[in-house]
Amino acid sequence: MKYVIIGASAAGIQAAQDLRNIDGKAEITVISKEPYAPYSRCLLSRFIDGRLPESALYYKTGDFFKTGGIEGLTGEKVVGVDRFAKKIRTDKDRSLAYDRLLIAAGARPRVPSMPGTGLEGVFSLHGLDDALGIIKRAKEVKEAVVAGAGFVGLEAAWALAKRGLRVTVVEKCQQILPNQLDRTAGSIIQKDLEEAGVNFVLDESLTEAGGCDAIESVTLADNSDLRCGLLILATGIRPETDLALGAGLKTDRGIIVDDHLRTSFTDIWAAGDCIEIEDVSTGRRSTSATWFNAVLQGKYAAYNMAGLNKRYTGSVGIQNAVQFHSLPAISFGKTQVSPEDGQDYKVLSVKRDRAYKKLVLKGDRIVGMIFVGDISRSGFYAALIRNGIDIKVYKDKLLDPDFSYAHFKYAYFKQEDFGQYDPYFKTAECWDHPEWWELRGRCMLAEGCK
Amino acid sequence: MKKLTVRAERCTGCKRCEIACIEEHSGAKSYGTSVKETPAPKTRIFVEPVGNRPLPLVCRHCQDALCVSACMAGCMQKDPVTGVVTNTGHEQKCVGCWMCVMACPYGVINMSLDSAGTAQAVFAQAVKCDLCPKRGTPACVEACPNEVLGVEEIEEGVYQ
Repeated sequence: MKYVIIGASAAGIQAAQDLRNIDGKAEITVISKEPYAPYSRCLLSRFIDGRLPESALYYKTGDFFKTGGIEGLTGEKVVGVDRFAKKIRTDKDRSLAYDRLLIAAGARPRVPSMPGTGLEGVFSLHGLDDALGIIKRAKEVKEAVVAGAGFVGLEAAWALAKRGLRVTVVEKCQQILPNQLDRTAGSIIQKDLEEAGVNFVLDESLTEAGGCDAIESVTLADNSDLRCGLLILATGIRPETDLALGAGLKTDRGIIVDDHLRTSFTDIWAAGDCIEIEDVSTGRRSTSATWFNAVLQGKYAAYNMAGLNKRYTGSVGIQNAVQFHSLPAISFGKTQVSPEDGQDYKVLSVKRDRAYKKLVLKGDRIVGMIFVGDISRSGFYAALIRNGIDIKVYKDKLLDPDFSYAHFKYAYFKQEDFGQYDPYFKTAECWDHPEWWELRGRCMLAEGCK
Repeated sequence: MKKLTVRAERCTGCKRCEIACIEEHSGAKSYGTSVKETPAPKTRIFVEPVGNRPLPLVCRHCQDALCVSACMAGCMQKDPVTGVVTNTGHEQKCVGCWMCVMACPYGVINMSLDSAGTAQAVFAQAVKCDLCPKRGTPACVEACPNEVLGVEEIEEGVYQ
């Protein structure tokens, strides 16, 4: 069997690794347009501020391709897929035949249409090349502007502030992280970042980047100018669908796949940031740009490509964990309810000082959460959302400080292990008995259970 | 593969397992001085209350561990031989992004977070059960006075 994988980031590499584990004899080829060994994009901001050396970006061992017996073609771009002849073409005029193809081409940064984005000192933050460029530029200048207060924008701003630059973030919404957080959580994180020296201009957009060769300033919509020698455009990403479109696959915002990660044409699968898949928290198809989703999709794509027929369920588009300065935060699923969503939703929240917890409920299910400050056990809530668990019994306990997996395990004692090994299998029947205290005393005295 | 077992009906909630865990993962192997360490060692086993009952929550060292998939730095790994899921040995790569904390359905990944430092040096690292690689029996199992916790060789995959 000949597997070809387009893209060597989270989804592509995970798929290659799992295909190799399942099928020791398969021929696996991974093609990446970037000339580097597999590296983690999410770590780039930490590379920029010097917390990590370049070597730490390579999250797999240096000889990942070699030890896995995987052919890695780096620095080569796929320019066409012929789905009928089952062949792909690259920009080096190479033609490769495949039996099964995985498109994990990722996404590309969106560049706003305004004058001056071609100037020197204007970057996106998407790949290692961008990060290297930003580091070089940041050594020469003192002021930077970041357009967009999404995760990438804030990571970049935080990194540049750590390097000692004066950073201003310009965001067109009235809060930071508008897709992930609500106002309350946004303002907590914003304050945390402001304390660390990042400046914010909200409810404002850029209209122009000015300068001769290199950028000298940006102009805002209210005609004010901000001086800067470095501009980072973090105004979102767009799924890479060109290849799929050229091949005649069904696409919308991303490549459309079913719950087995199959595209609309046989023998082609897709995974990662380039796809669009149903989100269990909203019930609508959505794209996602998180490492975790990409890895899981790569994994399930590999299972299905190898013929194991596993359904990929519980996809949640928004799942982010983050810590910029001193506050950790989690956003998961549907975090904001607007009047258009109807009456079915209910919001529970607690806020104390800089700690904030919010759960969005739909009927007897949790569909979204925001945790700021204290994020312990957030994985348990995430599992409740991902698996669509009925929480009716716990409705008044959900935000209690001691609500944990223990409650869940107690109520359904033998049933719910999320498909994993059950460490409680030796627990005796008397666990659930109303006089458990008495019974346990007897057990301890080796009288046995009654 | 080594797995922890819990006989929940015997647990009195004394939390000696938590203390033993902190001790084992502290520099001086002492609970008393661990509070003075930076970052302060954190427990990797959790005795949680359910109503008036205690229940120890332990890591299952999952077969298809979500925390491993979530790790963007490649530091949370499942050992193919021992089956232990841990970031021990790669913790210098951990950047404290907390994706594993968000991924673990059982909520048994703790955060070692020292924000007392300046803005330039906040220490953040995920910590979780590593089944005490330096000792035969995990510290929590040894410390448990009521034989609640045990460790057994259990073949992976049979419970699915």
